[in-house]
Amino acid sequence: MTGFQLEIQLTAIIVAAACALPGTFLVLRRMAMMSDAISHAVLPGIVVAFFLTGNLSSPLLIVGGTATGLLTVVLVEAMRRTRLVREDAAIGLVFPALFSIGVILIARFAGDVHLDIDAVLLGELAFVPFDRWVVAGVDLGPVGLYATGVVGAITGLFIALFYKELKLATFDAALCAMLGFMPTMLHYALMGLVSATAVVAFDAVGAILVIALMVGPPAAAYLLTDHLHRMIGLSIGLGATAAVAGYWVAHVLDASIAGSMASIIGLEFALVFAFAPHQGLFSSWHRRRLQRWEFARKMLVIHLLQHEGRPEAVRECRVDHLQDHLQWEREFAGHLIRQSELQGLITREGVYLHLTAKGRSIAQEAMVS
Amino acid sequence: MRNALWSLVLLLLVSACGRAASDGVPLSERRVRVVATTSIVADLVHNVGGERVEVEALMGPGVDPHLFKASAGDVAVMAAADAIVYNGLHLEGKMGDLFEQMDSRGRTTIPLAELAVPDTLLRESALFQGNYDPHIWFDVQLWIRAARTLAGELAGLDSTHADSYQLRAQAYVEELLDAEAYVYAHISRIAPPARVLVTSHDAFGYFGRAFGFEVYGLQGLSTAVEAGTADVQALAELVASRRIPAMFVESSISPRGIEAVREAVRARGFDVRIGGTLFGDALGGPESPASTYTGMVRHNADVLVNALADGVRS
Repeated sequence: MTGFQLEIQLTAIIVAAACALPGTFLVLRRMAMMSDAISHAVLPGIVVAFFLTGNLSSPLLIVGGTATGLLTVVLVEAMRRTRLVREDAAIGLVFPALFSIGVILIARFAGDVHLDIDAVLLGELAFVPFDRWVVAGVDLGPVGLYATGVVGAITGLFIALFYKELKLATFDAALCAMLGFMPTMLHYALMGLVSATAVVAFDAVGAILVIALMVGPPAAAYLLTDHLHRMIGLSIGLGATAAVAGYWVAHVLDASIAGSMASIIGLEFALVFAFAPHQGLFSSWHRRRLQRWEFARKMLVIHLLQHEGRPEAVRECRVDHLQDHLQWEREFAGHLIRQSELQGLITREGVYLHLTAKGRSIAQEAMVS
Repeated sequence: MRNALWSLVLLLLVSACGRAASDGVPLSERRVRVVATTSIVADLVHNVGGERVEVEALMGPGVDPHLFKASAGDVAVMAAADAIVYNGLHLEGKMGDLFEQMDSRGRTTIPLAELAVPDTLLRESALFQGNYDPHIWFDVQLWIRAARTLAGELAGLDSTHADSYQLRAQAYVEELLDAEAYVYAHISRIAPPARVLVTSHDAFGYFGRAFGFEVYGLQGLSTAVEAGTADVQALAELVASRRIPAMFVESSISPRGIEAVREAVRARGFDVRIGGTLFGDALGGPESPASTYTGMVRHNADVLVNALADGVRS
């Protein structure tokens, strides 16, 4: 593995962690598409900064982009607080408006300049090792690694310091306000960090990877755990795994690195969605099936208990009668009877069914509850 | 987890110091490894560098340089290169800034348009001074300057073979002059009032200036901004009122916009043809007549003459 390969993967891991931290809260607050919104909403800031500086390479363009990123966050939050629109609608209303202002400004005043988000802001993970930080002739490593590392560390510190408050503000904003923790201020601070993380990471590694990392791993982690701290840890782990696996997929296929990483994130989510222990598709299906059996078994023992020792028992407690009375398919009924026999709930004598002591107590319990 | 990450960072910093770009074999004993950004720049490097140079283009045929995405292999190619040759003037977007930084750290990066063409010959933005149209290759005279500049740069890099670069450049300039003469000879068949070039985006400004065409692009320089309905209507009005017989699409840009203009022209009771595909920001594939720069220049001239010259079919 060459130094460049190591640097690209390391940067991707750092970006994965820096995105997973705020991404977890975005997913929990149903604002996952905030990063996508910011990736578009930076345009007017870049355009206005260009009008002021007249220079496409000026760092002020990134500052302008960050400013409109923050503006997006403030506007979305202001709209959401009116309670007239939901989070997702507020995001969808704010960023197209900002983006189109940028497009109109370019079309109207700068049609003869090569001005767009790709040309000014969006970086490319593949080129991270070529943009190096050199101090007094000493090569300290890629700039992108430091930039994303710093913004990730700040977010990490913020979350560590205000962990309890953030948790409360996320899950019960009303209680949080009552306890005097100012959920709105926390929210603005967190969203400000989302905006800063997004812009810095866009600059270093491009838009798609950042959006994928902010949404994919936290959404997958959400299906795996109900604990906030575990969700954050899992998000970082899933993101970092996708970063490394995606790099090597890109290496083998000679494809776009960011694209491969984003695809692996999609794959991770699909696997979790299908096979998560409690909330996955497969386990929900399995649970529903178990519940159906459980319910049928109770029906059977209750039915047998009600007619036990009565004259009609000869008619009611027959195997073939269950199909009519409880409207069970023949196969299902047969399977259920065999299972219940095995579990010691009933015994079978030819076509007649009898409750065991265990079956009787389960039936009585089920009727009481 | 975080601690592990930071120790990895430290490890990396130690290992990053003292890494060299090439593998230590002196340039006089091997070929010069050059990375070019667009296929058009790669073609120039190939012609000026000849046998001495191994050139690899980051953007293959038909790729819009505004929308280029790098692959994992590009990193290794760039890391091993002795020189990176690019157009500059923001044609490559953010990559251009990257190359400038690499240059300030001692890697050889050559911004052709910026070195070869003085500002006075560049088309400047009307409102924003210091911002220029990067598509200089459409003016063959400017591309001749680029060829000579490149020869000088490569000669400086690989000084033992300096003469061969100058000789090859001189020979290639002759070829370029032939191609230019071909364009002049052919477009003379287009009556001056019909010398109007309507295309997808504003890439042909230098062509228009050099060969006396009025140029109208549906989109601006940046391909990110979609053409508006007003742009479509204004262009359609122009085409219909001046009875311009043909418009042109570009190889690396979707023809949808130009087709919309065509519909709008028809609504005004005039029919305009799509005159053919011009090669703009990228060369054609190896089978295409525009697989080289001179081939592209001739092909574009042929397409224009076929569509715009009255009653003449070359």
